[in-house]
Amino acid sequence: MPEQNKQVEDTPPFLGSWKKIYSLVLIELIILIALFYLFTKAFS
Amino acid sequence: MSTIDWIVLCGFTGFIVLFGIWKTHKTKNVDEYLRAGKTSSWWVVALSIMATQASAITFLSTPGQAYVDGMRFVQFYIGLPIAMIILSITAVPVYSKLNVFTAYEYLEKRFDLKNRVLGSILFLTQRGLAAGFTIYAPALILSVILGWDIHTTIILMGFLVILYTTIGGSNAVNKTHIFQMIIITVGMFAAFFMIIAFLSKDISFIDATHIAGKMGKLNAIDFSFNLSDRYTFWSGLIGGTFLMLSYFGTDQSQVARYLAAKNITQSRMGLLVNGLVKVPMQFIILFIGAMVFVFFQFVTPPLFFNPVETNNVKSGNYSEQYINLEKEYGLIHQEKKNLISEMINKNSISESDYQKRLLALEQKGNEIRDEAKSLIKQNNPSADLNDTNYIFITYIVNYLPVGLIGLLLAAILAASMSSTSAELNSLSSTTMVDIYKRLIYKNGSDQHYLRFSKIATVGWGFYAIIFALFANELGSLIEAVNILGSLVYGTILGIFLTAFYTKKITGHSVFIAAIISELVVLYSYFFTDIPFLWYNVIGCILVFLISSLINPFITAKSKVKTIS
Repeated sequence: MPEQNKQVEDTPPFLGSWKKIYSLVLIELIILIALFYLFTKAFS
Repeated sequence: MSTIDWIVLCGFTGFIVLFGIWKTHKTKNVDEYLRAGKTSSWWVVALSIMATQASAITFLSTPGQAYVDGMRFVQFYIGLPIAMIILSITAVPVYSKLNVFTAYEYLEKRFDLKNRVLGSILFLTQRGLAAGFTIYAPALILSVILGWDIHTTIILMGFLVILYTTIGGSNAVNKTHIFQMIIITVGMFAAFFMIIAFLSKDISFIDATHIAGKMGKLNAIDFSFNLSDRYTFWSGLIGGTFLMLSYFGTDQSQVARYLAAKNITQSRMGLLVNGLVKVPMQFIILFIGAMVFVFFQFVTPPLFFNPVETNNVKSGNYSEQYINLEKEYGLIHQEKKNLISEMINKNSISESDYQKRLLALEQKGNEIRDEAKSLIKQNNPSADLNDTNYIFITYIVNYLPVGLIGLLLAAILAASMSSTSAELNSLSSTTMVDIYKRLIYKNGSDQHYLRFSKIATVGWGFYAIIFALFANELGSLIEAVNILGSLVYGTILGIFLTAFYTKKITGHSVFIAAIISELVVLYSYFFTDIPFLWYNVIGCILVFLISSLINPFITAKSKVKTIS
């Protein structure tokens, strides 16, 4: 029972798993870098 | 400043201070005082982490940095989301499992007492000085705007923060951070929309962005690998990741924020939300700076943005020469303005010929500014020639409508108070937990340690105030703080990474490696041109490498400690 509680407690509030949340953060970063690059090119 | 601005400024600031005191004055024990009783939800942790990092320096220097140097400073934050992920996987579970009050407690559990003390002292030295900067920055603005004596302003500002941080501890810090972040966000967006509204009288938003780009202010990404260039994609990705790992993983002012979370999930989410939000937030602040630059293409900016130094030179022996330079600068500005209007009317913003002429005029203007700075220096040899920090505040005070000036000043003040309170609280916890309780007085009651924590908060507050009083001539503030951090962060991070990722390296090895690495970092700072972001990498890798190399020779004599 305590093991089960710990498992529930360590689940992120959305997306279901930590791997998915980490991927979300990384994907956002990659998109931002791409956008910043395009932004720099488009307006320079 | 108008009465309405005063009401807005005093209203917001007074509310935060009184709210902090009212909500937390019944703090009963050390756990509540230093970790807010471990009751914070992830969104409070996230806001608190952001509020701690977003000091007044963020508001003052960052737009000015974009005005002078373009948006490339955003690359400094590229490593932040990566660092948030690494810390969520490594540091958060370890701290949570060991139930520590400070990050340095872990070093004793993994290595030995001397490493804990070394980590604590490096932190106390660096953060103590940084706390001085965070009080100094807004005091500087208020003294320039209101004509107050800067020393009186620093003392007044410092006392306000000391008051609620001493009474409520970490609990007060976290609770006030929520409102401070709200004011900061509202202030930031208000500034952004107002500048767009002002510009629309002369040009469209897209044209304004093109003008900023053509004049080299939208250089957000630079993939070139140049070690002597301070802000590139690579320095941000590699150096920035190391710096952020160190700041968020080993600096107690940040570690305390997620140690206050209810559980490991809330700590992780707080860090990861910061990873999602921080880079776009910095981009927006820098973009505001780029738009302020465009705004000053239509309105003649002061030749030098620091009004105190301008008045000094104008009332001195170089008055006539300075006024002539101002006239010359005005003529060039007018020429630039006409050229921009022509570009817009002819719809020729993308033509390279116009861009060349525009950049040539900009260059001429910069040369005149350099001449003006030289006069200022001759007039007053101790004058600070870096006016980056005055650019955004000049725009706020002179061009924003009544009410908004008060709001923006309240946001700057909130940002300063949020960082300072977190710093004082973390300095107090490290002094109490890692030094006083561990080394000096081990068997005190909870109430004794609570009282000592409060005394330590007051003590560090006074120390920060005294440092702020002498912080006048250190150039761009945000860079000074980051440079200061980079001098010790790499070594601290090296100690922690060795602790997290190795099992056989002993306390003796890592301690010797840390001392050697710190000396190498200091040598690099004083005797080489290596940009400061790389000190984090150098310090960290050296600790790791040297401790690995010398460990086989030292291990035989000492005990290996591991934490499963």
